[in-house]
Amino acid sequence: MQKHTIRQILHDLLITAGLLLLTTSLTFILFFQVSNNPANIALFYIFGILTTARNTNGFLYGILASGLGVLLINCFFTYPYFSINFSLPDYPFTFLCMLTLSILTSITTSYIKRQTELLASREKQLLEAEKEKLRANLLRAVSHDLRTPLTGILGASASLEEEWEHYESQERQELIHNIHDDASWLLNMVENLLSITHIQTDGSRLNTSLEVVDEVVAESVIRLKKRLPEADIQITLPSEILMIPMDAMLIEQVLINLLENALLHSCSDKPVQLIVEPHTHNIYFHVIDYGVGLNEEFVKHIFDGTYSESSSSDVRKNNGIGLSICHSIITAHNGTIVARNHEHGAEFLFILPKEETNE
Amino acid sequence: MNKFTVLLIEDEKSISDFTSKTLSSHGYRVRCASTGKEALSLASSLCPDILLLDLGLPDMDGMEIIHQLRTWSSCPIIVVSARTQENDKVRALDAGADDYLTKPFGISELMARIRTSLRHSNQLNNGYNIPHHPYRAKDLEIDFFKRSITINGQPVHLTPIEYKIVAFLAQNSGKVMTYSAVMNNVWGPYSESDNKILRVNMANIRRKLEKNPAEPVYIFTEVGVGYRMADDEESQCF
Repeated sequence: MQKHTIRQILHDLLITAGLLLLTTSLTFILFFQVSNNPANIALFYIFGILTTARNTNGFLYGILASGLGVLLINCFFTYPYFSINFSLPDYPFTFLCMLTLSILTSITTSYIKRQTELLASREKQLLEAEKEKLRANLLRAVSHDLRTPLTGILGASASLEEEWEHYESQERQELIHNIHDDASWLLNMVENLLSITHIQTDGSRLNTSLEVVDEVVAESVIRLKKRLPEADIQITLPSEILMIPMDAMLIEQVLINLLENALLHSCSDKPVQLIVEPHTHNIYFHVIDYGVGLNEEFVKHIFDGTYSESSSSDVRKNNGIGLSICHSIITAHNGTIVARNHEHGAEFLFILPKEETNE
Repeated sequence: MNKFTVLLIEDEKSISDFTSKTLSSHGYRVRCASTGKEALSLASSLCPDILLLDLGLPDMDGMEIIHQLRTWSSCPIIVVSARTQENDKVRALDAGADDYLTKPFGISELMARIRTSLRHSNQLNNGYNIPHHPYRAKDLEIDFFKRSITINGQPVHLTPIEYKIVAFLAQNSGKVMTYSAVMNNVWGPYSESDNKILRVNMANIRRKLEKNPAEPVYIFTEVGVGYRMADDEESQCF
């Protein structure tokens, strides 16, 4: 800590000395080589002092610079040259003016500087609050979504336990099937939430390694088909073998979310297409369905986490959380994700960089 | 037929309940342990045919149990882990576990893993390394003596390295093989630690073997862990 302060002071002193030296030498050249006009000298020095105040901490260095500046002007640029002399009648007045002006400007710049810093820190606080709000929103939405299937499971299992004899065997089967459905939906939600914990708040902690695109695509399709065995997905992969840096678990989650979204919400029996396209610097992943398309009003806010088809009251259709998770994952990978409609349905496209971009 | 004994090491009662019920209904004899200490003492007194081990135990690290067991027993160990414990899986496999299951697992998955592990441990006890019969799964056939691979009777041309990888996976079919295990077997113990070369080779193999590389039916990827080849159909019933 102490070492830090000493270094800071040294740094500021060096800046002060350096800037004064620069100003003096510039003025020197101008005054003695170009024109003997004294009008510019004070202006030059004020400029130098202003810069000093701007680049140092506190206004002490600014005042110091102005004092030194006055001495330097007296020494070099007023008659008698190269000696300090305050004896001429109007000089003290000039110097007093100069000193006041320098101190004033130095104080003003310091003040402006402090204001800027304050503003920046306040902005940071605001951003932090915004993040916190997002997280709270997500938690609220998730809790709400989790409650419905849990209610279903609790209800079905309780009625099975208490009224086992009253049910026909087919009814029992149905209740058990519902429990299974609800539980697997919950599992999917939990996997989504788990994937968020992979993305740390600072965003740079992503655990990426080079992954073969084929494998990641294959894994996500297999995992999705475990849950939706009749899913009809057409996959087009490039013939070259692509390896790109990513957190495979997270990108799988994105693919699963997008494919599931397309399969369940397109209201169409036509197969969903997954196309992987290599470009020079990026790889494009298209998920295209041939169904009802997206509601144009919601496209803008589709990744916000608040989006839900207003026409439906079924919570399972609420995939807002899934899509907002996709967005955070792709952003954390320095990629982009967009949603748009094409002529016969909807398309989600996300783009991942081929190489790790170093910030 | 003599029943196989399964030692189930799991501290979560609901999971241990349903697993043991399923196993006994499939004809296994099941003993349960809920702590590491109990597990080690049961393992030495029972000499079970197979161990199902949950990595998160209250009193002991699951890894510790694997290390201790491996000092005197070669009985197959199947590790059960939650999805967040990615690295633990690899560590457990490298420490000597035979396979792993990710929670939540289905009954069919569990039974398949147990059958595979028992089969491989039987082969080990019989004392031969190269299987006598060719590997067969769906349309794929691998003849280990002729070193030939055919799909639907059509020969597939693999480079020597590619063949080595496929043959190694096929000989351990049904079991997950970590990247490092494959690397060691194919490139030798002093191979690079970077598994990029293996994965590029695997991508090439898939393009030759699989009809659609995006939906593999023969060689599956276990992300972050390794590869698993489809079970040999001929040896399903041991």
